[in-house]
Amino acid sequence: MAHRRSLHSLARFFSSHSTVAPGCALKSVASILPNHFSTAAISSSSDCIVPKSDATSWCSSLFSGNRARHFCSSSRKDDDDDDKDEEDDGEESEGDYSDEDEEGARESSDSNSKPKPPPGPVDKVARAAEIGYKVVGKLRPSDKVFKPYEPVYAVVQIGSHQFKVSNGDTIVAEKLKFCDVNDKLILTKVLLLGSATQTIVGRPIVLDSAVHAVVEEHALDEKVIIFKKKRRKNYRRTKGHRQELTRLRITDIQGIAKPEIKIDPKLTKPTKPTVKEQEKVAVAA
Amino acid sequence: MALRGVWHLRKLVVSYSDWGGSSRGIRAFMDSRIPSFKEANPHLELETELIRGQHPHLKAFCKNNNERVVCVRNMTPEEVLLHATRLRNALGRKVVKLKTRHVTKHLSVQQRIICSSRTQNLPKTHS
Repeated sequence: MAHRRSLHSLARFFSSHSTVAPGCALKSVASILPNHFSTAAISSSSDCIVPKSDATSWCSSLFSGNRARHFCSSSRKDDDDDDKDEEDDGEESEGDYSDEDEEGARESSDSNSKPKPPPGPVDKVARAAEIGYKVVGKLRPSDKVFKPYEPVYAVVQIGSHQFKVSNGDTIVAEKLKFCDVNDKLILTKVLLLGSATQTIVGRPIVLDSAVHAVVEEHALDEKVIIFKKKRRKNYRRTKGHRQELTRLRITDIQGIAKPEIKIDPKLTKPTKPTVKEQEKVAVAA
Repeated sequence: MALRGVWHLRKLVVSYSDWGGSSRGIRAFMDSRIPSFKEANPHLELETELIRGQHPHLKAFCKNNNERVVCVRNMTPEEVLLHATRLRNALGRKVVKLKTRHVTKHLSVQQRIICSSRTQNLPKTHS
């Protein structure tokens, strides 16, 4: 660093005094340079570097103020970076951040100016698969999807959240973009399946398994007020936030053997025979 | 909102003024978006109401006899459509802070209950 500063000062000196003879260049260099530079060292270095016949050209090239310093490549940016390396770390970092901010502002302005096209059907399916669900279709009135409780459970992942679900449960997840209310979904990321007799652990996902669900609601959560204050600094900010949520009802879990539901004969009511009605009809005929 | 396949929003009343500037957006919504909204929701009863000299709003009547009113003054047709869609997607219940994100009646399938008396009778193990 001291070397470069000293060379800079030398360049300014010789550019101002253009009539200085090359012969006395080395002596004047010795007088200007700080104490740790010895004149003997300079003279020896100058002799070993350049032959005497080329001393004038060497001196003029060395002490010209407009000579560009090239280290790795000849690009202008490298020179600017080299200049910045001489400064303190704080200043250098501020300069970098300012450059980065300018670039980010340019990019953001470009992105803001160009509106993003809506995602196509293929993109929707792909993005939904990344989150962990797949839209099957609309729920029709004829679909008998809502079954009685089955003693089987599954651990399902939607986005970054995991739920332990069984048939008939309701879960609230972050808003699922690519589905509408009353849509049938298949949750693809099933991490674990379990029943009373067996447990299937996925690595990380259980293959050939699916959890069926129906979208019940897309709604906003209650408003949460974000209040920021710094005391004695006259700083106070209030912001309201309502999170968008989706409520799902789990209808079926597939991929594991379900235990048979034993029907207690005492609980079931016996059906009345319709033989008497048939007899009445036969008599009337 | 549809609970077990049954839509909760029964009727949506679109109230607007034909003179005021705050109803400009909802008037454009009625001209451009309402026909498609009606086709997409055949179960929904959609009404329009003229209220001169007042700001426009949307009134939602739910199956549980709850009403929700949203003021849509000085909004664009797209924003009015967004509010109408939210009313159609939502439940008629009062909005309350969620206590839990998982509602279930059956807590455990693989139940393993250890009685307190049994733990007292277990032999002590010396490490």
